[in-house]
Amino acid sequence: MKTQELKNQVRQSMALLIGAADELRDLDQVLGDGDLGITISAGAKAVIEALDDVADDSAPSDLTRACAKAFANANPSTMAALVAGGLLQGSKAWSGKDEITVADAELFIRSAADSISHRGKSQVGDKTILDAIVPAADALAASPQSPIDAAIEAAADAVIRTRDLQSKRGRASWLQDRSIGLQDPGATAFLRMLEAWRDAENGDTGPKAAVYDG
Amino acid sequence: MKKIINQPDRFVDEMIEGILLAHPDQVKTPGDDPRILVRADAPVKGKVGIVTGGGSGHLPLFKGYVGKGLCSGVAIGNVFSSPSVQQCFEAAQAVDGGAGVLFLYGNYGGDVFNFDLAADMAELEGIEIRTVLGRDDVASQGKDRKLDRRGVAGIFFAYKAAGAAAERGDSLDEVAAIAEKVIDRTATMGVGLSPTILPTTGAPSFELPDGEMEIGIGIHGEPGIHRGELVCADDIADTILDAIVADLDVTSGDRVAVLVNGLGATPLEELYVLYRRVHQRLSEQGVSIDRKYIGEYATSLEMAGASISLLALDDEIVELLDAPAQSPFFEEHE
Repeated sequence: MKTQELKNQVRQSMALLIGAADELRDLDQVLGDGDLGITISAGAKAVIEALDDVADDSAPSDLTRACAKAFANANPSTMAALVAGGLLQGSKAWSGKDEITVADAELFIRSAADSISHRGKSQVGDKTILDAIVPAADALAASPQSPIDAAIEAAADAVIRTRDLQSKRGRASWLQDRSIGLQDPGATAFLRMLEAWRDAENGDTGPKAAVYDG
Repeated sequence: MKKIINQPDRFVDEMIEGILLAHPDQVKTPGDDPRILVRADAPVKGKVGIVTGGGSGHLPLFKGYVGKGLCSGVAIGNVFSSPSVQQCFEAAQAVDGGAGVLFLYGNYGGDVFNFDLAADMAELEGIEIRTVLGRDDVASQGKDRKLDRRGVAGIFFAYKAAGAAAERGDSLDEVAAIAEKVIDRTATMGVGLSPTILPTTGAPSFELPDGEMEIGIGIHGEPGIHRGELVCADDIADTILDAIVADLDVTSGDRVAVLVNGLGATPLEELYVLYRRVHQRLSEQGVSIDRKYIGEYATSLEMAGASISLLALDDEIVELLDAPAQSPFFEEHE
């Protein structure tokens, strides 16, 4: 995938992701400070706008850097800064590339996960966005035939498993054992992003996994 | 609780407003957020910017050291809490004169988290960032875990030296290296006699019974290394001095700067009583006190107590300490 195609793909998936804002807000209201919906919708809108300024002949890493910047500037929240920092590290991993393969996508996601883990001092199992990101990257690596479907399946499974975990990081950790039984909003957001990516690729709406109904 | 405040939740903003009204020639807010203060002449083109930050309740730390020859900007949190990522980032943006920005602040979890994320955001904007952490409190970790120590009053030395280096036009790497060098050669230990009362809750931040002291206490009331009966000034000075001299391996023939710092409620008189003993002891050991600073540099609201810091000097550091500097709370004349 080259920059021009990547741009269209990002634009369409971000437009679809905005549809998940209410669900993410509701999840975050019981577990965090309730601003994840607005973080995702404002961030996605800002990314869409920023794409207009990315030239088709620029490198994919320039595109993802522009996304990171837009996402961070759209929101004052810690989550947005963590995501932006992740996108920045992913962009660095792409420097010098002008075409993106599935292996590059995996590299990007892993670099982003490393950044989020390092900055947020969090590990898989702490009930954060990382719980969905890392299994998705593993699945991408293992299934080159249908990478996005494999990533979604792995992330959905991980998101459902966050319900049994206790939140260890961020505001959610204040709930201590009362966080058990609730689904992690950050991990859910990453899953919805993957689903939006798939739907943008296919041009139709596929199933939503791990829908939490309390 | 007895405090001269209005609404507790307006305490920080009203304090900042007061500083701005009193010193408009020296500091300003660069944008809409009152929690960011920068030098009145920021950004200084072609020179390295230095941004510090942390919770309120420690004046003159952190915001008191924004000015010529010191820090260029500060991001200000609520009492004892970190500034936001956005505030750290906006402070960096406001002071960037094209030569990059040094983040120089105390080693506290929330601050590290937010400043690190702000560094990523700054990088996305094309601003080069280096980070150096104050970690001079020898009571917070042993010598084998120096990197995990908290930053307390001794960070003043790093502000002064790095600020002078930035002012004379050093590069970002050079300014960062000087800050790192000074912090590495600084050791501090405190003693607390009475707790801090938080304005928002009216409750003491920790308990310390009458007649007791805590050696090694942190500037938010973090536990120290010894709690016991309050002893006389000379004994307190000896205990602290022995620890920091040993930590720095200061021996006969060495030159040091001394900082005797009041934690907020302790009179200057008592600080001079402490200094007297420090001077006697170091002189006996053949250590030369080439520079001394006595007063309030890093406080904890109305905590009673003091800290003593030593900085092992060399010619380069002395020159930077002596360079002119001016902020609302600190001046070094030509």
